[in-house]
Amino acid sequence: MRYQPVIGLEIHCELLTDSKVFCSCRNEFGGGENTRVCPRCSGMPGTLPILNQNAVRLAAKAGFATDCTVNAYSSFDRKNYFYPDLPKAYQITQFEHPICTDGHITVCGDKKIRINRIHIEEDAGKLVHDDYEGISMADYNRCGVPLIEIVTEPDFRSAEEVQDFVEQIALRLKYAGVCDARMEQGSLRVDVNISIMPYGSDIFGTRAEIKNLNSLKAIGRAIEYEIQRQAEILDNGGTVVQETRRFNDNHGDTKALRSKEEAHDYRYFPEPDIPPVLLSDDDLEDIRKSMPELPHVRMARYTGEYGLPHDDAQLIISSKAFSDFYDEAVKLNPDYKQISNIMLVEVNRHLNDSGKTIEEVLFSPSDIAELARMISDGKVSNNAGKDVLKIMFEHGGKPMAIAEQNGLIMSSDTSGLEAAIDEVIAANADSVESYKNGNDKIFGFLMGQVMRTIGKGGNPALAKDILQKKIGKE
Amino acid sequence: MFDAEMTRHLAELSKIEFTADELEKMTADMTGIIALMDKVCGFDTSVKPYALDAVDYKELRSDSHEDSYDTEDIIRNADNVKNNSFVVPKVV
Amino acid sequence: MKLTEMRAELDAKNISAAELAQEYIKKIHDTDGKVNSYITVCADEAAAAAEHAQSLIDSGNSKPMTGIPVSIKDNICTKGIKTTCASHMLDDFVPVYNATVIEKLNSEGAVILGKTNMDEFAMGGSSQTSYFGGVKNPYDTSRVSGGSSGGAAASVSAGLCAAALGSDTGGSVRQPSAFCGVTGLKPTYGAVSRWGLIAFASSLDQIGVIANSAADTGYVLNCIYGQDKNDATSSARAQGNYTAKVGSDIKGLRIGLPKEFFGEGISDEVKTAVMNAAEYYKKLGCELVECSLPSLEYAVSAYYLISSAEAASNLSRFDGIKYGFRSGLGEDYNSLISSSRREGFGDEVKRRIMLGNYALCSGYYDAYYKNATMIRTQLRSEYAGIFEKCDVILTPTAPTAAYKIGEQENDPVKMYLADICTVTVNIAGLPGISTTCGYDKNNMPIGMSLVGRAFDEQTIIAVCDRFEQDFERKEARIR
Repeated sequence: MRYQPVIGLEIHCELLTDSKVFCSCRNEFGGGENTRVCPRCSGMPGTLPILNQNAVRLAAKAGFATDCTVNAYSSFDRKNYFYPDLPKAYQITQFEHPICTDGHITVCGDKKIRINRIHIEEDAGKLVHDDYEGISMADYNRCGVPLIEIVTEPDFRSAEEVQDFVEQIALRLKYAGVCDARMEQGSLRVDVNISIMPYGSDIFGTRAEIKNLNSLKAIGRAIEYEIQRQAEILDNGGTVVQETRRFNDNHGDTKALRSKEEAHDYRYFPEPDIPPVLLSDDDLEDIRKSMPELPHVRMARYTGEYGLPHDDAQLIISSKAFSDFYDEAVKLNPDYKQISNIMLVEVNRHLNDSGKTIEEVLFSPSDIAELARMISDGKVSNNAGKDVLKIMFEHGGKPMAIAEQNGLIMSSDTSGLEAAIDEVIAANADSVESYKNGNDKIFGFLMGQVMRTIGKGGNPALAKDILQKKIGKE
Repeated sequence: MFDAEMTRHLAELSKIEFTADELEKMTADMTGIIALMDKVCGFDTSVKPYALDAVDYKELRSDSHEDSYDTEDIIRNADNVKNNSFVVPKVV
Repeated sequence: MKLTEMRAELDAKNISAAELAQEYIKKIHDTDGKVNSYITVCADEAAAAAEHAQSLIDSGNSKPMTGIPVSIKDNICTKGIKTTCASHMLDDFVPVYNATVIEKLNSEGAVILGKTNMDEFAMGGSSQTSYFGGVKNPYDTSRVSGGSSGGAAASVSAGLCAAALGSDTGGSVRQPSAFCGVTGLKPTYGAVSRWGLIAFASSLDQIGVIANSAADTGYVLNCIYGQDKNDATSSARAQGNYTAKVGSDIKGLRIGLPKEFFGEGISDEVKTAVMNAAEYYKKLGCELVECSLPSLEYAVSAYYLISSAEAASNLSRFDGIKYGFRSGLGEDYNSLISSSRREGFGDEVKRRIMLGNYALCSGYYDAYYKNATMIRTQLRSEYAGIFEKCDVILTPTAPTAAYKIGEQENDPVKMYLADICTVTVNIAGLPGISTTCGYDKNNMPIGMSLVGRAFDEQTIIAVCDRFEQDFERKEARIR
């Protein structure tokens, strides 16, 4: 039988704060075992959590980035379970009153995916396993790193929708400075809840939760595998078990995890050590005002108002810094297409070759705006423009000055040009004759000779006109 | 209503091992205690559950890190440590 | 000797801080064997602290607590000094940081004599569940000290410190103070930082002071109170100056007598002693107001459900992995921690953890935990109603005076019911103070409690002090 997959996501994102969520240890990736730990985040007796304001702020921004309601009142709860990476044996999270609710993102053009909630919680530590000695070793550096968990409704019906959603949400969170969204480093972690049902049915099947998905590709493969696996079970008259499964990137399959506890009863109750948080209208407005323009809004501007092709616009917005640079440049010179071309082709090539990012270049958006204007005004040729940019990239400097110093300005002086063309005609009488007899192809050769003679400052359009006039063809 | 099965379930949630004798004694103790606790089930009112007073966002801790503790202080009270980490029998 | 007098003696250099500390340490060594109020005696640290105190005094920089010898309940973290919670689980645990109250005492140059005995993890009302043996009552060593701060109360009662810090979750400062014939103050929830207090029930726990008089409890509270950036539940409303009203006229003060506290289950001797105190106040011109706390009948059950639920969660961190007792048994992670917790915790602690998980577990939460928190709201509003027509409330501190060791502490239900007089004050987060208002036929002290409005410790301390001025206390036999 053919089945319809039904998919919901739980996405954990590490927040870009300076300190951890309930203590002042540095929030950072990596480092020696238990070097970024204090009595609080290691769960020592007598310690108490102190909520980080910026974690609340960033969680609210995540809500604004996904069209959620950001709630004025939110509170914390304890989720109780024993595991060696969780030193207090409870995770502080938001259960009853999450900070954000009821958001959505549109994927694949026009499909609306509802977001149930976004809540703040703390990350757990890291376990390193030693098979030889049969031990696990707990490092608490990651304990207390602030997370948000984004929970969607089961609105996805394909892997493509999921991938588009994850891509979009990662980009929005990066834009808003909420999370660096590096799936491979685990700063954005996607758990996929997936079930299948016969096409046409509206009764959801039993779902499996897939963990350990650290790339968009892995998400796609895991979903395809799960659809197959569950379909085979149903086709053979079996029943899907509700369980947590781990994706294995090497094998491309999922395997059931041994359950942590036979019964999952987290015994949530209100966290008595942390008072609920009140965000005033002013607080919410301040946070909302600090939101940058989001990538999907920019996308609409680029393809609509600016008339850029979809793929070009997509390329520009894929990095906020790159897109910011573009926006600054077009603000000074609204030649959207020209600047887009310079940035996507030439600037990107230099960035790729040098391994630099747009933040590290030696020139400013106004320099690019000026260069684009020089090209469109015919002050430099397209090719000369590339040379100017190369120098800007390597040494910095203003494009006009560079063009002048290097003789790249196109000359509009026709007398010198005419003398040079006369010289070329005289030296290539055979070719001129051949052209007059109908050999059109040889015009290119003659133009080449002219350009070589006049050098890079020469104006090719002007030269072409004069040459054509002189050798007698309209 | 409170029985040995419930004691076993709570013991599992509580992560406390009991011998058969201890389990029996605990079931007896708990039976009496739960009977006392059942008093609250008769409380009939529409009042809200108690919650702490909320604090203003502005009063929350501002986000700047401080030095962590020395690793030595973090692990000094542990019985079994390797690679500056806490050792447990292998999980999963 | 009052703390103000001790201060004067030290500042006048009639006695040095070192001599005073030495005197107390010697007394502890000589007599604490009969009472068992201390788990750890810090002779060396006390000597060093006394030296530092003396240098402050000598340089004219003494503060109220400089050189004052105090004891600390053993669930308050002291950096470098064992903090056991009277449990096998933590019998060799050495904190790497100080509780805020310890930092405050240290900053004034107080002298910490040692860590006092208690019920294991502060769960109990007898101080007989300690891994280090029970605390005996200095008035009669065949009787319990009360609890859970039994060591703290006994240390004051037996003259083994000038004042003590305890903790009070459901009466654990006031009840042992009543049993041991001293004065015990539980401040408003949020008045004193809980940072470094090993949590039993976070929403109810509060560090309190036990001393020889109401004025002395206020004197010590002046040092330790205050909002703390390390405790988000500590409050800026705590105002300090806790002895400001001592000695002021209390004429016209309205004293509420909630009738439910004088009903069945309270011994006649206790009722009589507390009513005599009420009459005393009336003679001073106070107005006695009959009032009611109708939901008191639910209080003990609600208290045990809330406190045990929080305790079950708070005590989950004790698994023997990061600190504390680690069992030699257990092949895998689950059996290792389950064995460590089996061997590390005593019976009462296990009962509370089991009860707490019962209250929170799936299918039971609404009927137990949630109902209990609604009762909490109800009791708070009933108290608010009383305080519209009264300034303070007067109740017994405990249904009886101290009982014989072995008489009832092994019957959990009986023990829980005995907390009836104290738990509502924690549930409502109010300040309460207990002082001796009489003696029973065995010459054991009987305690009464004054309860005030939130953050109005000044009034209950003053009202309590007024009674103490005219009441003749009998000294403990061991003193």
